[in-house]
Amino acid sequence: MSAWWIVMRKELLDAFRDRRMVMVAFVVMPLAVPLLLAGLGSVGTKRQVEKLEKSLELPVIGAEQAPNRVAWLGTNDVRVVAPPADPDAAVRQQDHEVVLRIDPQFGEDWRAGRPAAIELIYDSSRPMQSGATISRVRALLGGYSQQVGTLRLIARGIHPAVAQPLRIGDRDVATPESRFDLAQQMLPYLLLLLAFIGGMQLAIDATAGERERQSLEPLLATPASREAIISGKILATAAFTLLSVLMTLLMFRVAFALVPMEQAGMSLDVPWDALGRLLLAILPIVLLGATVLTALAAFARSHREAQGYLPLLMFLPMLPTMYLMVSPVKTQLWMLAVPFLGQNQLILRILRDERITAVEWAASLGAGLLLAGLVWWIAARLYHREQLAASG
Amino acid sequence: MIQIQGLRKSFKARGDVIRAVDDVTFEARDGEITGLLGPNGAGKTTTLRMLYTLMSPDEGRVLVDGLDPVVQPGDVRRRLGVLPDARGLYKRLTARENVAYFGRLHGIGEDEIRARTERLNLALGMQEFIDRRTEGFSQGQRTKTAIARALVHDPRNVLLDEPTNGLDVMTTRALRRFLGQLKAEGRCVLFSSHIMQEVAALCDRIVVIALGRVVAQGTPDQLRAQTGRDNLEDAFVQVIGSEEGLFA
Repeated sequence: MSAWWIVMRKELLDAFRDRRMVMVAFVVMPLAVPLLLAGLGSVGTKRQVEKLEKSLELPVIGAEQAPNRVAWLGTNDVRVVAPPADPDAAVRQQDHEVVLRIDPQFGEDWRAGRPAAIELIYDSSRPMQSGATISRVRALLGGYSQQVGTLRLIARGIHPAVAQPLRIGDRDVATPESRFDLAQQMLPYLLLLLAFIGGMQLAIDATAGERERQSLEPLLATPASREAIISGKILATAAFTLLSVLMTLLMFRVAFALVPMEQAGMSLDVPWDALGRLLLAILPIVLLGATVLTALAAFARSHREAQGYLPLLMFLPMLPTMYLMVSPVKTQLWMLAVPFLGQNQLILRILRDERITAVEWAASLGAGLLLAGLVWWIAARLYHREQLAASG
Repeated sequence: MIQIQGLRKSFKARGDVIRAVDDVTFEARDGEITGLLGPNGAGKTTTLRMLYTLMSPDEGRVLVDGLDPVVQPGDVRRRLGVLPDARGLYKRLTARENVAYFGRLHGIGEDEIRARTERLNLALGMQEFIDRRTEGFSQGQRTKTAIARALVHDPRNVLLDEPTNGLDVMTTRALRRFLGQLKAEGRCVLFSSHIMQEVAALCDRIVVIALGRVVAQGTPDQLRAQTGRDNLEDAFVQVIGSEEGLFA
């Protein structure tokens, strides 16, 4: 038996006997990640559905100027209510999403056949909350305007098509899988975060913890080389993390069977064949995380100090997600070779069921494994320092 | 057989250079118990650490059965059984699993590990707790487990850093008997201590270290003769006291 294998087996046995560590890695995290995303998704879905189906409450200023128009709105599932005293402030404070103001000149203009002014008051800086309502009101008014315009043309003996040189049709080619959504943007981040620092407990316990409880010195007095010892610890961390990620992905299948995501035309289900590809895509991050955590724990003097680096590590997988939010550009090969950014892209493409070429796989896996190898080398150097064991 | 020649080691601490070991020469023979005696901070632990390859000497050299740890660290570690000052165990593993882990790292087979563990179990009196997880072990149980772990590969040379530290009288007596057994088996036993009585009761040869230097060495009789004192404790105080006088 090689020493690294002996060390890896012992670290895994040790970890699996730690009930708290096992609970967090194989129960809490796998439940928390899908539930968080499912929660985000279903709340969003519900709000969209509710908004489109619920009757719309619309404050109208100067309703008496155009009683027919207001009555027409009523037949379109809009409930006209009394306007607030200060409509601008009311919209800004989110008391109302949209306020309609009918111009005092409206009646006169309407009867004279001049364009009669109607004003929509809304806040465009809140597209997530009130975007759907604004476009609903706009569409209603536009429809009414066109209907009346058509009637007026016919009354004057002109074919309505004359005033409509273009006929615009919409065809959305987004498949349910490719529709971008908050939950879908969060998924790669959460998976990468789990892959990167999911083995933290084990790595810190196996290195900084070993020093703290004074078992490192006898270990280093055995014939096992320091490279073998640290490799065993890194691989134990990686195996443990990979299992935790696998459990999480399996929970997705369960979670999304329970939550009706299709209702929103969105899917976050993980098909069986995508599961293997996802694990492969994430693998370099798992190894990178295991080596970075082990190197940090070898560098830190104590459990506490090692844990102090955690916020910094949580930030790393966030960078590509932020980058993609700011500039959602087409994937290029170099991006796949950037750790985290590449994996982020691969995860999204696997979920969208897009084809990934061999070159793209090679770029992503190769760059990730190369970086992990580099950090492994640094960790091994750190393990050779004399102070490592002696400063106990 | 352990030979140490002109060993030196310094550390840098906040700009100061501390000479922890400053020209130490002695040897520990097979079939004898050699005691490394000195007050706290005399350089005993550092000397032992250079022996079991945790640190490399600045100057001088160490030979274990004629092998140099700097050149053949793996072979030297196989010939050494080490009970370091740090004797932490894995608390979620049983005492037996702790011992077996080290046996595997020494490259010995499962059957041999089982047989050796059984022998050490009897010799050290570990029957009561050997299959319990080590969390919550008493100091004595921890030390016995750490000794079994250090000797599972049947080493010719045994190094123990302050083995009786924190042990009660009964355990200390059992441990002394065990060291006698190792000596009878023809092994080279080297242990460090700052307790005079312990060294006097056990050792064939004594090496007295103070401030990183060997200030006296020989059999207990030779030490008494050198200092002209009948009492070993007086002899110890005299050799260390006079050296300290030189530096004061």
